[in-house]
Amino acid sequence: MDRWNNELNGLFAEYKQAIPDPDPGANFMPELWRKIEAKRSFTLRIRRLTQVFVGAAAAICLLFTMIEVIPGSSRPEVHGSYIDALAAAHPVDNITALGIVYRESPEPNTK
Amino acid sequence: MLVEFEQIQKAQAGDDAAFNQVVVAYRKRILGTIARLIGRPEDVEDVAQEVFLRLYYSLDQLRTPEVFEPWLYRLTVNASYDYLRKQRRRNESRMSDLSEQQVLMADAAAGGKVSTEEQRQKQVKELVDSLLGAVSEQDRILLTLKEVEGLSLKELEKIYRVNENALKVRLFRARQRVLNAFEATQGAVKPGERKD
Repeated sequence: MDRWNNELNGLFAEYKQAIPDPDPGANFMPELWRKIEAKRSFTLRIRRLTQVFVGAAAAICLLFTMIEVIPGSSRPEVHGSYIDALAAAHPVDNITALGIVYRESPEPNTK
Repeated sequence: MLVEFEQIQKAQAGDDAAFNQVVVAYRKRILGTIARLIGRPEDVEDVAQEVFLRLYYSLDQLRTPEVFEPWLYRLTVNASYDYLRKQRRRNESRMSDLSEQQVLMADAAAGGKVSTEEQRQKQVKELVDSLLGAVSEQDRILLTLKEVEGLSLKELEKIYRVNENALKVRLFRARQRVLNAFEATQGAVKPGERKD
């Protein structure tokens, strides 16, 4: 086993000699900077698109908010309390039709 | 360190000229490491450029310039691993051819003396490449860094950010697999005949 281990160690050492550090090509640095610039412009494009999208979303939100708060819109205005509004919407007749008995308050004893 | 800390700090601050100098200082070493990690000379420059591209866009994450080198090695390992993973199909077919290749290598080894040093180196390269095909991409990289690049366990610990014992176990297993493949290769040749 030791023999194989030693031979393998020798083989690894020879492997390093067989593949020395290669010299970079003349185009190495220009190509690297081209890749860096390409990635930078891609990132910038994505950032701009994101900004446009966020701006558009904000504008839509603002538009909906304005539609909601503009006075004189189609929604009826409500005055007074909820009970008043309910009474106005359901006069006594309607309440009776629903089976709710409307009782007059008793006459005060005049005797 | 092949460059001054200030150079790295300037590059971190966005100084392109400083970054350029850092690349110029380290590119040959990185090219050599990648060449031995991936075993395909025609793709070495592409992978090295990928390493420096990642370096450029992540340099601001480096907290202290003291850990620059292990960090650069880490980027190198990751880029090489990504490359090897993309080439997996090719590697798998190479692994399936391993036994045939082993026989060829054994034949070549047994066939007699190699005429020139260049041929011998080519043979060694092919043999080691085929042996490293017996382990996964991760183990190939780890084993190459330890056995070929000569990095210490401490340095590997910094690169991989795992404890030394875990690295030792993984290295041992990977080496055993390579050793078995080596023995199988040499088994076709009578002991002592491998040496050219």
